[in-house]
Amino acid sequence: MYCKKECIAMLLAGGQGSRLYDLTKHIAKPAVSFGGKYKIIDFPLSNCINSGIDTVGVLTQYQPLELNEYVCNGAPWDLDRMRGGLSVLPPYQGNKHSDWYKGTANAIYQNINFIKHYNPEYVLILSGDHIYRMDYKKMLEQHKATGAVCTVATITVPMDEASRFGICNTNADGSIYEFEEKPKQPKNNQASMGIYIFNTKTLIEYLENDEADENSSNDFGKNIIPNLLGNGEKLFAYKFSGYWKDVGTISSLWEANMDLIGETPVLNIADKDFRIYSKNTARPPQYLGPNSKIVNSLVSEGSRIYGTVINSILSGGVVIEEGAIVRDSVIMDDVVVKKGGAVYSAIVDSDAVIKEGAVVGTEGAGKENIAVVASSTVVKAQKKA
Amino acid sequence: MASAAGIIFSSLNNNTLSRLTGDRTVAAIPFACRYRLADFCLSNMINADISNISMVVNYNYRSLLEHIGSGKDWDLARRASGVNFVSPFQSAANATEAKMFSTHLEALKSMSAYITEMKENYVVLMDSDNVLNIDLQKVISDHEKSGASVTIVTRKPERDYSAKHPRMMISSVADKITDIAMSSVYNERHPNLALGIFVMSTLFLRRLIEEAVAYNLNSFTAYLLKNCKTQHYKAYRYDGYVATVSSFLDYYRCSMEIVKNPSARETLFGRKEAPIFTRVHNSAPTMYKDGAKVESSMLADECIIEGTVINSVLFRGVKVEKGAVVKDSVLFRGTHVSRGATLNCIVADKDVYVSENVNLSGNENMPFYIQKKRKI
Repeated sequence: MYCKKECIAMLLAGGQGSRLYDLTKHIAKPAVSFGGKYKIIDFPLSNCINSGIDTVGVLTQYQPLELNEYVCNGAPWDLDRMRGGLSVLPPYQGNKHSDWYKGTANAIYQNINFIKHYNPEYVLILSGDHIYRMDYKKMLEQHKATGAVCTVATITVPMDEASRFGICNTNADGSIYEFEEKPKQPKNNQASMGIYIFNTKTLIEYLENDEADENSSNDFGKNIIPNLLGNGEKLFAYKFSGYWKDVGTISSLWEANMDLIGETPVLNIADKDFRIYSKNTARPPQYLGPNSKIVNSLVSEGSRIYGTVINSILSGGVVIEEGAIVRDSVIMDDVVVKKGGAVYSAIVDSDAVIKEGAVVGTEGAGKENIAVVASSTVVKAQKKA
Repeated sequence: MASAAGIIFSSLNNNTLSRLTGDRTVAAIPFACRYRLADFCLSNMINADISNISMVVNYNYRSLLEHIGSGKDWDLARRASGVNFVSPFQSAANATEAKMFSTHLEALKSMSAYITEMKENYVVLMDSDNVLNIDLQKVISDHEKSGASVTIVTRKPERDYSAKHPRMMISSVADKITDIAMSSVYNERHPNLALGIFVMSTLFLRRLIEEAVAYNLNSFTAYLLKNCKTQHYKAYRYDGYVATVSSFLDYYRCSMEIVKNPSARETLFGRKEAPIFTRVHNSAPTMYKDGAKVESSMLADECIIEGTVINSVLFRGVKVEKGAVVKDSVLFRGTHVSRGATLNCIVADKDVYVSENVNLSGNENMPFYIQKKRKI
């Protein structure tokens, strides 16, 4: 079937996210819940459809069960299409060799046939680790206008954090002359967002050469981008301004959730001009009981609140019983906080139960000391000595 | 398990809800924050594995078509079966004589070719003005076991029950219907109220339609009334909560009941295996800001609450600004309540804008209705 596309997206969603500890014990990082009714992967997928990209390969590897079930045929993001749409791409057995994905570049290399099938002019490489709204169309327009073979999206980060990122050193016209992966002495603060647009021909050529190089760690940031620069190819930076957050750690995940609330939220999740789509579960409306108290919080469908909720994010089907308190916390699907239970500065994963009188976390603990309750855990009150 | 098809009647008694049905059919009336009445019919059916569903529409059905779309959100966008709409048929030749359906039987007669081809063994007919969450699979299997020609689902009405228009009332002995009468008040001789849910075999329905064509019958109700003593009709008593929305006041009272009565909420929404599906809007979660004070209320997504909300039902995207008070009210999608405004016993239709410091009040026996898009 003829299905040529101008640009397709390859979404790297196989990451374990080991710094999220218990939250990613049984699920891949892109499947981690965020902001009440979303998962991290909703952001790049919604960005794609909002940018007019209707063909997305989702590369999965680590604990893919929940992620596969979640993205299914792509319908929630309007990505169930006759031509293109969403395809889940797990590692597979070939007739010569079969392998797990060794690195980001190798994962794409192993799916070169998927790319060739759609024969696009451009390939957009994305990761499923970030919370951000971005119109990739604008980046593609710049890519075409500059005539670059590869465009790297960058964002301004605080100078003192620049050494944690891949830093793009650019000329006045925005062309990249040097790419430094986590430099000790960063020359500037334009960090790579891990989002690349490649001319397909160049991408395939470099992926094949990279695969042939036994010493390569098959990574875009460490190998492909430096190789392109080494060969004098034309690379440009695309400066993105707007909200962008890596949610790879407990503290950053908590902080990004907190960015959704406040008098003027840093990230306005309700922006109708750039919807974030997610898979909908048929839950009833939320109900607030006669003695409930709730301020500065986000609450999703199916939650029932009889107690107190302050500065928190509640996902679907959460029950906060009378006399219970939740403060500065992120509560995921179907968690129950029983009478007199208390949750302070915590992330409580789905289906956990906080029993009568049990206390999780410390009041005002701050982002570096966020308590985590793993999925389906039952937390009981400690016996008084 | 018996296979069954469903036929939903969206609006044969439109006139009784004049305000809420000004430009929408009964089945499209918004209810309980995020639903329309049709959602309950469709969900009851899909949860009982009934996926061949006809929705009979008559007039004012655009908002219903828009709501249901392909049926995808109810898992009814199927290759075989799914949801299809049956509207009055106007051929170019008889356009001037074309008529709306005035009774169930007229609609059924017009569908006879379709009913002849139905592969399912049973048919469930359902009106859309009763809101309930019933296990239809059990109704069908009880019907099958009983050997009855028709099963009519009933509930026990309150002693002070009264409706604006006569409804089917039933007397039965050990589930066998002994008499049917039309009445708009409770009467002891016919102590059960029919809920507009009828189960019969496809064969029975075909014969009924043939008879109706042959003898020019026009009323399904009249047919049942006439034959209830000679044919075997079974009553299926449903004891869960039912919101019967037959007048504007009923509508308001039922809305208040779901916020005030926990068992009403539980029977409508507490069946984990039988969720109520509705159109997906991808709205963001609801935001409670500083100054929010919310008691005994039900809210949909994407509301922004900075004021006080008590005993109320808020649909998607309602904004209640600082210092505003909303009490005993039902606010449809997109209602905006500005600073210092107070609403008491109000039903505000879609996109109403209430300006600063405006006070509006109805009474619990006479709630005040504000029409769509009004700015006050």
